[in-house]
Amino acid sequence: MSFHTRFTCWGVCLALAAGAASAADSDIAKLTKDPKVWAMQAGDFNNHRYSELKQITSKNARNLTVAWTFSTGVLRGHEGGPLVIGDTMYLHSPFPNKVFAIALEDQSIRWKYEPKQDPAVIPVMCCDTVNRGVAYANGKIFLQQADTTLVALDAKTGNELWKIKVGDPKLGETTTNTPHVFKDKVLTGISGGEFGVRGRITAHDMNTGKILWKAWSTGPDNELLVDPAKTMTWTDGKMAPIGPDSSLKTWQGDQWKLGGGTTWGWYSYDPDTNLVYYGTGNPSTWNPRQRPGDNKWSMTIFARDLDTGMAKWVYQMTPHDEWDYDGVNEMILADIKVKGKPRKALVHFDRNGFAYTMDRVSGELLIAEKYDPVVNWATHIDMKSGRPQVVAKYSTDKNGPDVNTKGVCPSALGTKDQQPASYSRKTGLFYVPTNHVCMDYEPFQIEYTAGQPYVGSTLSMYAAPNSHGGMGNFIAWDAGTGKMVWSKPERFSVWSGALSTAGDVVFYGTLEGYIKAVDLNGKELWKFKTPSGIIGNVTTWEYKGKQYIGVLSGIGGWAGIGLAAGLTKGTEGLGAVGGYKDLAKYTELGGVLTVFALPER
Amino acid sequence: MKSLRLLLLIALTLPLTAHGDDFPTSGRVEYVLECMQKHDGKQEYLYKCSCVVDRIAKALAYDDYVAMSVALRYQSLSGERGGLFRDAASNKDMAGKFRQIEADAHKACAVPQR
Repeated sequence: MSFHTRFTCWGVCLALAAGAASAADSDIAKLTKDPKVWAMQAGDFNNHRYSELKQITSKNARNLTVAWTFSTGVLRGHEGGPLVIGDTMYLHSPFPNKVFAIALEDQSIRWKYEPKQDPAVIPVMCCDTVNRGVAYANGKIFLQQADTTLVALDAKTGNELWKIKVGDPKLGETTTNTPHVFKDKVLTGISGGEFGVRGRITAHDMNTGKILWKAWSTGPDNELLVDPAKTMTWTDGKMAPIGPDSSLKTWQGDQWKLGGGTTWGWYSYDPDTNLVYYGTGNPSTWNPRQRPGDNKWSMTIFARDLDTGMAKWVYQMTPHDEWDYDGVNEMILADIKVKGKPRKALVHFDRNGFAYTMDRVSGELLIAEKYDPVVNWATHIDMKSGRPQVVAKYSTDKNGPDVNTKGVCPSALGTKDQQPASYSRKTGLFYVPTNHVCMDYEPFQIEYTAGQPYVGSTLSMYAAPNSHGGMGNFIAWDAGTGKMVWSKPERFSVWSGALSTAGDVVFYGTLEGYIKAVDLNGKELWKFKTPSGIIGNVTTWEYKGKQYIGVLSGIGGWAGIGLAAGLTKGTEGLGAVGGYKDLAKYTELGGVLTVFALPER
Repeated sequence: MKSLRLLLLIALTLPLTAHGDDFPTSGRVEYVLECMQKHDGKQEYLYKCSCVVDRIAKALAYDDYVAMSVALRYQSLSGERGGLFRDAASNKDMAGKFRQIEADAHKACAVPQR
């Protein structure tokens, strides 16, 4: 932003800070209850990705047609989705992390924000320069830039209100997650598990950006924000205190300092218990031989008090990870019957191929079952210890460095990556986009250098053998019994977030670029080919009495989109971003938001 | 033998739907626009690129065309995601088959390979 806008911010910032100082809450809770708006990336605090809107139904979804499109003019993977508040849409782009405020009335741009970021951040982003979208509360838009800057913008003008850096790209620290606003706090995480980054989350004052607390994933108790006597975990079939030095004891020497356990997923929040839920990623390095022990608390579900950050309970899903099964996937909060008994549950579809149903108040482990039958690295989760029973021949640790461990399912992509599932409050079921992919995995010895990849393995992936030949499924899951209800095969992995609605329709996108609507039995009702592969999340809102469905397309290798984007030169919209192996062929590209509605009669 | 295996594999991975020019207009227009762009937007390529897509549409059902062309495009994706497309035999086979069909169509329609 220019000096001028930064200068004008002073007045606005002070006024806002003074006005909101007394409020310990924000308007976000109320906004998420209005089905006409889409105020958080996941729609609500519970990560439901469910809408009460029902103009579009399983009967008429086949008539859906394009209402309008909007191009970000930026290449690379477009994850996340738009927010819609009132008559305005807020849409982000991958690096350089532009933000657009778009008038729903005529799709004119109200303002555009484009941060100046050092392109040196690009090579230290492990998995493309994605961004999972902005957050909103009290007239502010929150953007978590790639270079770890968390910035608050005035939602009316796009002017910067405050910004703060939460990491250092020189150390391989970057950010891809959406900020999460719960009450009066903005929570954010960190990426870079492939670079030996030590994971943590920070809670910020919504009005100033000031860090209120910071909770690490690995290290001494005071930095973990745990109470050895009061923070509980599933032990021997019941909840028990984690005890002192619970993390330090599970690492060799100082390895916890490069421990991984990054925090780039989708958090949730339960106002009744005031607990925030999120997962931590893989331990560093990938080579398990170099980090003996359980590597706590990587691969862990954390439940923390929103106001203090103190952990109430923790549960490590994959102790001593040997396959890169990050535990960051969304934590979905649902009040469901589990084995016949009503529970305040937390449901989590982990990369490791198991779907966990926990009691979100106490942290008890209730159910852990495979949500893809091909998962083979562990036979099952022992319900007493809570530990996966690892199959020796798939243990990359036992097989050792420079040995190729073959046929491990799922692959390092996980049975599911970050692309969020949907929970239908109407059916009580979960609709889950999945990978159906296995791998051969070979770890090797590696030295740590700050800011350099700390991966130490090579892998090769392929469609799950002896199955339908495709690389993905879209499934319906009953978290109260731990059973699959149906599974719809897909040719490619499903990397788009799902949406379910009160109109009995479930939406998701595919890598071919189709957005699909299916009914509650998984039967395809409608599909539409957007300009590129879909790795964004499907969103819905209502404007002037009409229900809309929107989804970002854009993964790379687009067709025809250059015209949609209005780009005539190969490098326009590209900025400093480069790096596709074959960029010259497909350069005139940009991500596109395609918006659908039912036609007028 | 190898080509038979390839055919079998494609038959398995692609449930070939009965087709006969089932490309939607938008699919053809999209192909032609991109193809014209690759040739500096010259008018002559309106005709040549239309010829190419019509030939592809005769050879493949639209869904299969979409999957195969995507498998080819994603060979060039960076990182782990691209790895999935470069590693997996099913994707490499689809990419290879589509490359061949497109090359044949280019030849028949006098479009130089780029």
